[in-house]
Amino acid sequence: MTTHLPLLDIRNLTKSYGAVKAVNDVSLHIDRGEIAGLIGPNGSGKSTFFDCSTGLARPDTGTVVLDGQDITGWSLNRIAREGRMLRSFQKTVTFRSLDVEENLIIAGQMFTFPSILSTFSIGKLSRQRIAGLRERARELIRMAGLWDVRHQPAGNLSGGQQKLIQFASMLMPEPKLILLDEPMAGINPKIIERVVETILYANKSLGVSFLVIEHNIDVVTSICRRVIVLDQGQKLAEGLPQDIIQDQRVREAYLGG
Amino acid sequence: MVSTLIEQIVNGIVTGSVYAIVAVGMTMIFGVLRAINFAHGEYYMLGTFGAWFAIDYLGLSYEASIVVGILSTIVIAYVVGQLVMRRMVGAPAESGVLATLGIALVLQNTVILVFGGGYKFFSGGYIEPVSILGFSLAEQRVLILVVCLLVFIGLELMVTHSRMGKAMRAVSQNVECCEVVGIDVPQVVLRTFILGAALAALSGVLTAPVNVSVYGGMGELITFKTLPIIIMGGLGNVRGTFFAAMILGIAESLVATYVGLQYRDTVGFATLILMLMWRPHGLFSTQARF
Amino acid sequence: MSLTQTSERARRRDYRIPLGILLFSVALAAPFIGSRYVVHALIIALVFMLPAHGLNLLVGYTGLLSLAQAAFFGIGAYTAGLLAIGYGTPFYVNAVVAGLAAGAVALPLGVPALRLRSTSFVMCTLGFVIIGQAIAKNWISVTRGDMGLSGIPKPYFELGPLSFTVGGTTGFYYLALAIGILATLAVFAVVRSPAGRNMVAIRENETLAESLGVPTWHYKLIVFMLSAVFAGVGGSLYAHYLTVVSPLTFQMYYSTTMLIIVLGGGAGMISGTIFGSLLFVGLTEALRITPELRMIAYGLCLLVLVFWFKQGFAPVINRVWNAIGGAK
Repeated sequence: MTTHLPLLDIRNLTKSYGAVKAVNDVSLHIDRGEIAGLIGPNGSGKSTFFDCSTGLARPDTGTVVLDGQDITGWSLNRIAREGRMLRSFQKTVTFRSLDVEENLIIAGQMFTFPSILSTFSIGKLSRQRIAGLRERARELIRMAGLWDVRHQPAGNLSGGQQKLIQFASMLMPEPKLILLDEPMAGINPKIIERVVETILYANKSLGVSFLVIEHNIDVVTSICRRVIVLDQGQKLAEGLPQDIIQDQRVREAYLGG
Repeated sequence: MVSTLIEQIVNGIVTGSVYAIVAVGMTMIFGVLRAINFAHGEYYMLGTFGAWFAIDYLGLSYEASIVVGILSTIVIAYVVGQLVMRRMVGAPAESGVLATLGIALVLQNTVILVFGGGYKFFSGGYIEPVSILGFSLAEQRVLILVVCLLVFIGLELMVTHSRMGKAMRAVSQNVECCEVVGIDVPQVVLRTFILGAALAALSGVLTAPVNVSVYGGMGELITFKTLPIIIMGGLGNVRGTFFAAMILGIAESLVATYVGLQYRDTVGFATLILMLMWRPHGLFSTQARF
Repeated sequence: MSLTQTSERARRRDYRIPLGILLFSVALAAPFIGSRYVVHALIIALVFMLPAHGLNLLVGYTGLLSLAQAAFFGIGAYTAGLLAIGYGTPFYVNAVVAGLAAGAVALPLGVPALRLRSTSFVMCTLGFVIIGQAIAKNWISVTRGDMGLSGIPKPYFELGPLSFTVGGTTGFYYLALAIGILATLAVFAVVRSPAGRNMVAIRENETLAESLGVPTWHYKLIVFMLSAVFAGVGGSLYAHYLTVVSPLTFQMYYSTTMLIIVLGGGAGMISGTIFGSLLFVGLTEALRITPELRMIAYGLCLLVLVFWFKQGFAPVINRVWNAIGGAK
């Protein structure tokens, strides 16, 4: 029975800012093991939809159910910690003055310590936990091709490298689902390849599902099995990537018809 | 009973006017700089000391001492503005807090070092009572009320009609755009700051005959009074500041009469903290700047 | 690569441990080397180091600028003073209760204040100091109003059958030194714990930390309370040393002093706070500078720190530390 349940099930999500309905009655689901794409012209409500699904903003109406649990109204940190649903940000962000390894360890900490108070311990158990995290961090750092710069402050690295740090950080907690907000924006083709590889690796080997906002249509068609199109806050179309790019309504929305 | 109440309200409006003239400069500086000037009350103190010095040491009249007080404050504000305030353009809010705290320490203690820390007697001013609508009110208090109204009318006109006012409004709305269209932002900041300091000095010299005593720590007290006002008034909002100052003036006056004089100086911050918990963005909109 | 590093290390000796031992011996021998006045200055520096350690956790590690430290310092001083006068309790009880009282007061204050952003938060914390002073002045039945508390007894200890009073300056110096070392170790433990890493994450980028599951609000509240506990314990030392506490313990000047210690020494560095206390409080006290001159110097320090030396003495301390540690 449970296998038929989608991993993430969002129903009738609506969010207004003043008179503007940024997201208007959008329903969407992600299946286990799936990589889905979310596309749409600028200002179509994709980011607001992300914010409302991940707890950064509170939706006006609608429900968000993750793995059978209603998480509507949970805070960003609780959704990440208890739901293991993580998100990235459009603007690349890292803990700039900390080195790459520390960046990744921070990302894993809240998932290995049972309570806030236990994080204040420097006992043997605590050190063992951190040692375990460090090992995992190093594995991911090697995979992301950041081994040589692992002791450099993240802020000193290039935009593309910081993107990889952000990505590797999100894999630290063994997430169920990752929401990526324009992962390819502003990075060079070589890094794009690397990010695509990492997404596919995470999906196949680690069993992580993805919902990806992306403008690079080649990337979307190559990694997504299913694409959802938003336009003016509403769901316009949904289907296979090759069908979607042929869809007349989608073309009109993008060309400003 | 009723007449005491009305008398206290009138007194409160006079106090509110004193605060309003100081606070309006502080709020305008916030508008262009996005930083709270923790040293603003010190310019009130400097103006008062300038006037006191003119009367006691130079033997000038009260009228002349007003000019001396304001001019000397403008000179000091110019130096502080060139050395410090200009650098604060675009700096994080925390830097503004720390830098202006530093200025406050330097100004206040230099004055104490030069003139001594004790209370001084301010001998000028118009202290004859006049009778208005059956109330007797010292001439000086009437003067404060009138000047306060003139200051606010003048500021409204300046902001809407003069080049300087328009530049100030532009900077307060969007600093980046101003730089693109060629407005000299540090220059606007400097002028706004000097104007604000001069207004604080004006408030100081007008209030000195009412307060009578002059001392080095008086500026800090005024800063503590005006900080809550400008936040309650909605940072950067001139009209909001006027009303918030009046509300605080009247509230202080009533608390001093009916609750206890010793609680007067905490009214501002107590109200502020309650307000921050209830409406974190001020009673008046911060959008309606100037 | 690793080979050259080993030879480097072999060539340049690591002097950190001998230097640590030397500094510790100097600290122990201070009452016999320095004059009475120098020892007094060191005590004052140690007293202020405690609230500064707490403030460093808040400002340096978590990135929250607060002026409330003087309020918690005052609460600690009054709590310890009242306990010592009213109940004659031993010093360690007073110090612990003073810390806990300050921490407990920080909870209801922190809950609304930490919702505010940058400037409003600073303003709110300043309000705590001003309101604290008003309460100390007006709650006369407890605080004796403007007169303050006087005749606070010297620290008294009761350890099993042994009981003694720490009377002289030298004795008090060792007491303050012991507490200072304990506090430093405590800060060290917090900073080195996983929570310390989360605090730095909040300072660096709060939203990112939040998105990685860090409950930032809870951490900020805990650190705010923790910083108050340090200030409270510092206040208890202050009360027992000066034997008088007045409402003027609640003044912004103290908060500013603590800020100067932390920022001047180097925010986010434990050694910076220790160095800052010795330099900004100890040295000015030892030189017997008038309060006005000291405040002017503090004011200029703040300006210099904001515009020119943003990291305070941190780079200097780091360089010296690396040099003696033999690192490249």
